[in-house]
Parts: sequence; C-alpha cells; structure tokens
Amino acid sequence: MNIIEAKDVSVTFDSYGDVIKAVDHVNFVLPKGQTIGIVGESGSGKSTFARVLSGLQIPTSGSVTFMDKPIQNGKNTYEGALRKEVQMVFQDPYGSLNPRMRIVKAIAEAIRQHQGLDKKASRVAALDLLESMGISNLDAQKFPSKLSGGQRQRASVARALSAQPSVLIADEPTSAIDQSAQAQLLGLFNDLIKKGLSIVLVSHDLGVIRYLSDYVYVMKDGIFVESGKSEEIFNNPKEEYTKKLISSIPGRSTK
Amino acid sequence: MLGNHLLEIKNLKIDVRVTKTRRLSIVDTASLIIEPGEIIGLIGESGSGKTMLCRSLVGTLGRRGAYIASGELKFDGIDLITAKQSVWNDIRGKRIGYVPQSALAGPNPVMTIGAQLAEAILQDENFPKSDVEKRSLELLNIVQIRRPETVLKQYQHELSGGMKQRVMIACAIAQQPQLIVADEPTTGLDVTVQAEIMELLKQIRKDFNTSIILVSHDLPLINEICDDIVIMHAGTTVEKIPSKSIKASKHPYTLALYNSRIDLVLPKGQLKTINGQPPSVGSWPEGCRFSERCDFVKDKCRTKQDLPLIEIGSNHQTSCLRYDEIAR
Repeated sequence: MNIIEAKDVSVTFDSYGDVIKAVDHVNFVLPKGQTIGIVGESGSGKSTFARVLSGLQIPTSGSVTFMDKPIQNGKNTYEGALRKEVQMVFQDPYGSLNPRMRIVKAIAEAIRQHQGLDKKASRVAALDLLESMGISNLDAQKFPSKLSGGQRQRASVARALSAQPSVLIADEPTSAIDQSAQAQLLGLFNDLIKKGLSIVLVSHDLGVIRYLSDYVYVMKDGIFVESGKSEEIFNNPKEEYTKKLISSIPGRSTK
Repeated sequence: MLGNHLLEIKNLKIDVRVTKTRRLSIVDTASLIIEPGEIIGLIGESGSGKTMLCRSLVGTLGRRGAYIASGELKFDGIDLITAKQSVWNDIRGKRIGYVPQSALAGPNPVMTIGAQLAEAILQDENFPKSDVEKRSLELLNIVQIRRPETVLKQYQHELSGGMKQRVMIACAIAQQPQLIVADEPTTGLDVTVQAEIMELLKQIRKDFNTSIILVSHDLPLINEICDDIVIMHAGTTVEKIPSKSIKASKHPYTLALYNSRIDLVLPKGQLKTINGQPPSVGSWPEGCRFSERCDFVKDKCRTKQDLPLIEIGSNHQTSCLRYDEIAR
C-alpha cells in the first residue's frame, strides 16, 4: 500500500522573465514502512520535491495524494487531522531550533499542539522522547546553542516525531554534522525504520542513502533519471550519471 | 631540535582571552611536521581545534582573540611566533596560501572575480600591472574554470559552489606558495564536485611541488588523497599515521573514527559509534583527553600527565599510553 503518491508533479519558478523548471513531470511512490532515498547534486530539484511532498511547496501542476486522498485543498495542504501525519527534518540543525527556547520546552510545545496533552504531561512526554533520542534530561534543559550539531539534529528529529507522524521527510539530515555524530543519527533512523515509520531521505551523500534506503530515485535537472532497488542501483547502475555519482564516493575507487 | 622541514609545529598551545585574567586553552600540545610536496590530512571532530591550528599558520589568530601561549612554530626556518608584521607580509598569501572554510561564503560579494584575483596577484609589488589579466586567465585555467573571460567579470553570487571554491584556490595559488592550507574545502559541496576539487589539489601538488594541509572531518576522503594523516582530538594531536596503514592505527580514537564509517557496514547493519560527546573546551579531563570515551581506558590514563607523540614505527606516532596492547 502506498502511503504517499505523487503523479506528474511539476514545479516552476519565474526568474527575471525566464521560467525555471525545478521539478519536471515526475512520478513518485512511498510504500508503507519503506525508506525511499532521493539522491542528486545541488540544484537537481530534490529539496523542492521534498518540500512538495511535505506540503510546504504547492506544485505548479500534478497532484500529491496521502492514503489516496489529495493533500491539497485550494492553497492549503494537509488540513486537519492529516497535518501531523507528515513531518519534516531540515538540513541545518543550527537554524531549525528556536534559539530562545530550551530544548525540552520546544518539544513539549509541539507535543501539546499535536497530542493535546496539558502542560505538565507534555513536559514529561518531551523528556521521555528526548531520552529515547539519546538526549539526557540534563541536556534537555539547555538552550540549542549549548548543544553540538549532532545533538541538535536529534532534537529536530524528536520534534518531528512529537506529532507521531507516519511519514518522516528528512532533507539532508547529516550534511552539516561530523562523522561520529552522523553514525549516531543514522543508528537512530534505523531504529525508527524498525518501528515501522516510512521515511523519505533526501541527500547527496550516497553512503547515507545506501545505508538506509530500500528504494532509490536518482534525480538530475528536475527529473528522475533512474530508480530502483537500493542494491541494484549501487551494484549495477544503468545511467552514466548514476555511475559518475557512485564513482565519486571517497574510498570507493581504492577498495 | 628543529631541522630542515618545510613546516614544524611542536607542542603548540593556543589560548583565548575570556576575561582580563581568565584564559582558556583551545589547542594544547599539537605537533605536526610537513616536508615539501607532501599532502597532510588533518582530521578531528567539530571543536577539536583544527581551524585554530590552521589560523596560526597564517597569523590571523588575533582576530579571534586568540594567541600562541607556548610551543614552537617554524616555517622554512622562520620562527612564526615572534615574526613581525613585515615578515608576515612576505609569508601570508605569498609563501603560505590559505583556502578558508565554507566555500559558499568565500569570495568577496562586492568585488568581481577579476578584481579579487588582481588583488591576489598584485601582492607581489613588482608584478607588471599590464600582465595582470593574462595571469588571472592563466590561474583560472589552472583551476579548470570554463569560460574564464566571462568569469573574470562576474560576481560570486553568479557562480556555483564548486566554481567559488575553485576561485578561492586560484587566489591561494596566485603567488605559487610552498604550502597551501585548505580548511574543509569541500564541506557542503556535492560528491562529484568534491572529487573534482580533490583531483585539482593533487594536480597542483604534482605541477608545483606544493605541500598541502587538508582539513576535514571526512575520514574516507582524507584517506584517499593524503600521504599522512594527523588526527586531532580535544585540541591535541593524538596520532600521525601514513594513510595506507590507517587500519593498523595504535590510538583508540582513530580506530573508533575509522570504525564509525558507514561504508564499512551492510545497509541497516549495526553502526559503531564513538561513546559520548567530545569534551568541551575548558573541561578537558586530566591525563588522556579521550579517556572518558575510551574502551581501553586504564587508571594510568587518567592521571595528570603530558602525552606527547611517541615514535612507534616509520612515520607513525601515537600519544596513547597503551599503544602496544591495542589490537583491532
């Protein structure tokens, strides 16, 4: 069963009279409980497409459905009960948390909003959630500026999960943090996958994509040039572009 | 005793002024030696002091309120710690080129690329002004920028990330320096662009016999292009090892870093992570600063002591007290 489906989606932007096709008539499916990787270079349109899936960007043409229901209603997306089903984790852990709110307060607010708990209960739930993300109760009392990039990114994931979504869309979650923090974050995603969460993972880091994804879409200039099962794409790429991407992974050529 | 190396850093200590009397060490007992034509990779987690060490090589520590507290720092026989401004003017940009962090904010936004290259070229006061454009085009050709004539007239926002980084490298090599310090040159760039920039750095080394210090937190990348790797943790250099023998590392931190690579495990396999968080500046443990996170820790690691790099093999130095007991 497909949880999200995108049909013939295009996004165009106007730029001084020119029309730029950021996403050009693409089709996409996210089956329940799977992890889909979208990989491509900067400017290939992968972030724009992720924003379309999460309802932040309204497509110029085409449609996105969630459980066979269109997500868009006029200018609004994901209305009512649908709102909490799809959550996003952003690229920049330094810019995506409110610098004037303690971590626990930021998470508790999201829980209060989405789960309808009162102030006290939401705080307890927030501490529990952060604990399960590997952020201790002590660290949860701190402001974002006192935490490392990896901890902040885990707090961002916690905030996304506070809505108890069925789909998580992660736009380059690991590109701003260093290697050991990356390993911790990927381990966390792995646990979430085991719990049955469906994930759309956008990245230009093929190592990350290979590690987590079941199915991979390769994006170039706004279209998917290749898609297939993760092992197939990495072991037996068909398109020249995919081959070039894979051969650029550091350490790949020396093995 | 300092010999005839291109660059020699010994037990360098860099402090920052926090208040009038309070000082914090951000780099302590860092040692590094570079020979002509060598590519050294400097690797460590965020906040391990990599960037500050690089800044000490171009004399811009003062802008961050930091200064060298003790240690030795010699470039081609010149003592850089006591060097006057006039000496720095002959070294910075001319004999040591610097490619700063974050390519995307690199070039000056209100100068054309041509004006910026001209500035880099005219650091040499004897350079004839009539040849500046020719030399600029030559530099852009070296860094393999297509349509160099157009690029000279453009501003940085008109270029892609990879091109901006190439321009920064062109500025750094304008005076044919003996050493290039590249501080995370590919962070935030795509893998394909990253591969191209690395090729370019290798080509520059080959053509001009330039030494390069490449700073990164990406171990597979460093491992692929560098001759030797220097690993930093909490402000100190913990190990120096030839990149070929990285697997035979004798420091638990290097091993932990190596084992946290995601390309070593099968998809969705168990990743090995490094325990805990890097210790923050000002609260480093006494003795070995990795002791709090180390799997091999013994009581003797925790006692207060200096941990210099010990020579344990050809070109292989480690600061671990228990190096002879550590096996993979």
